[in-house]
Amino acid sequence: MSLSASDFAFVAGLVRRESAIVLAPGKEYLVEARLLPVARQAGAGSVADYLGTLQRRPDPAAHRSVVDALTTNETSWFRDREPFSALTDVVVPHLVGTRAAARSVRVWSAACSSGQEPYSLAITLQQALPAGWRYQIHATDISTEMIKRASAGEFSQVEVNRGLPVQLLVNHFTRSGTGWKVAPALRENVTFQQLNLTAPLPALASFDVIFLRNVLIYFDVETKRSVLRNICKLLRPDGWLFLGAAETTIGVDEGFERVAVGRTSAYRPRATVPAGTLGKG
Amino acid sequence: MRLILRRIVGQCGFEVLEAGDGRAALDLLGGLDTVPQLALVDWNMPNMDGLEFVAAAREDARLRDMTLVMVTTESEQSQIVRALAAGAHEYVIKPFTAEAMIDKLALLGLVPTGANT
Amino acid sequence: MTEQPTPTVDDLREIAEQVWAAYLDPEGVRPFLVGEPGEPATAVSASVSLTGGWHGHVVVSCSSGAARHAAAAFLAMEAGEVSDEDMTDVMGELANIVGGNVKSMLPAATAVSLPHVVAGADNRFPTTRRICELSGTWLDEPFSISMWQGRGLAEVPAA
Repeated sequence: MSLSASDFAFVAGLVRRESAIVLAPGKEYLVEARLLPVARQAGAGSVADYLGTLQRRPDPAAHRSVVDALTTNETSWFRDREPFSALTDVVVPHLVGTRAAARSVRVWSAACSSGQEPYSLAITLQQALPAGWRYQIHATDISTEMIKRASAGEFSQVEVNRGLPVQLLVNHFTRSGTGWKVAPALRENVTFQQLNLTAPLPALASFDVIFLRNVLIYFDVETKRSVLRNICKLLRPDGWLFLGAAETTIGVDEGFERVAVGRTSAYRPRATVPAGTLGKG
Repeated sequence: MRLILRRIVGQCGFEVLEAGDGRAALDLLGGLDTVPQLALVDWNMPNMDGLEFVAAAREDARLRDMTLVMVTTESEQSQIVRALAAGAHEYVIKPFTAEAMIDKLALLGLVPTGANT
Repeated sequence: MTEQPTPTVDDLREIAEQVWAAYLDPEGVRPFLVGEPGEPATAVSASVSLTGGWHGHVVVSCSSGAARHAAAAFLAMEAGEVSDEDMTDVMGELANIVGGNVKSMLPAATAVSLPHVVAGADNRFPTTRRICELSGTWLDEPFSISMWQGRGLAEVPAA
């Protein structure tokens, strides 16, 4: 049973928007093979049935599963690099200047997937914050499976090769079985929680920084608006929001203003952005 | 393994030279007019192993600008630390995907962008 | 130093998954299937020896058909273009990769030898016992990865 051209185009479009991976025609067998377990788990009789339902009734969580199934082993550490440099060069100095009393930083990794993002954030803060400062990363994802995986903090040889400088590997991980495990000193600063961004959000203490990367693209404009509105309530008034490389709040939510940070952009709650935004750190 | 690496870095635009062990590599490098930008070095080799080659390369002022990346199955933490201490700039553990290798080269500024960011 | 548990068939399976994901089946559509291989996987056999902190061998063996597929996948060639030397090189590298990954789970100061590839005969190691074996098929051809422990020299405390 082979995939119809329109089903294939639907999947290719989804994957391309999320990951920039191009599924060229000819890869129908790949889509069939990778999506069969996903379809079965969803109770569909076939991949075609599963995709048919998805196209009639868009479901962001299911879209995520589809893209995950087709891009396994592609997840990179320090994805896109620039936001993490910006964190070190611009955001941390700002927080050090303004949170001197509490000497602590709270970050939310709002679509943490298998864990590379929250642990990359932890490594970045561990290195950038002065002695005596604490940090906490709160990592959430819609998938319980992903939360379990990320919380375990174990990664394979193939996974740790992707975008993780080897010096950081030996400093922050230890060998564990056939792979590597996040060191306790890092792990104890990260908490995990299953959370659906489109549902009413649980009560969480405010964050200084939120990473909401490559998840808004799954939502229609109305949902994007409501997610950003809810996110904003959990962000400190002078906090920082980072989106994915191709994403923006412009045209979606007036509550944020885009500012240049290093070689990338971040979004800050509008009321508090001073004239003359921060330039290259 | 040399064929796989040749294919990957060749696709990134590199011209590729090969040697079967550390000794042969030093001999080859001695005879070149231009020093390569990058050396991909296995650990387990006869005559002169990868660690010895890295140490020797770092002692040679002429080879100072050559980036040294170990590509090996050796994945014991203390061994990786030894390799870095001897002067290796980066380290890729086998098995690795082509994207991972390209990511590492991008980290080192040797290719313009990563494979899939 | 705490006693390290010896690698198990589950560890071999994880290592095999990594190797297939990286080189033999990057798209995830032609996996190694654990189970009864049907025929014995002995036509081509590549091994590395482990010495020092631990003594034994890691053996990767399969049919010549599977060795040809492996070489074709590794070297991005058509199966028909693969030479005997290509198959030897690739089988040797597979043993090297599996052996190297297994080694990191064994006591420190264990060294891995260069690979040794034998074709057309059963690769046997006297005075060893089999620790674990992962058998199955790949592309309907028998494939097996096994670990053997030998009686080493008199134990010397790690330096």
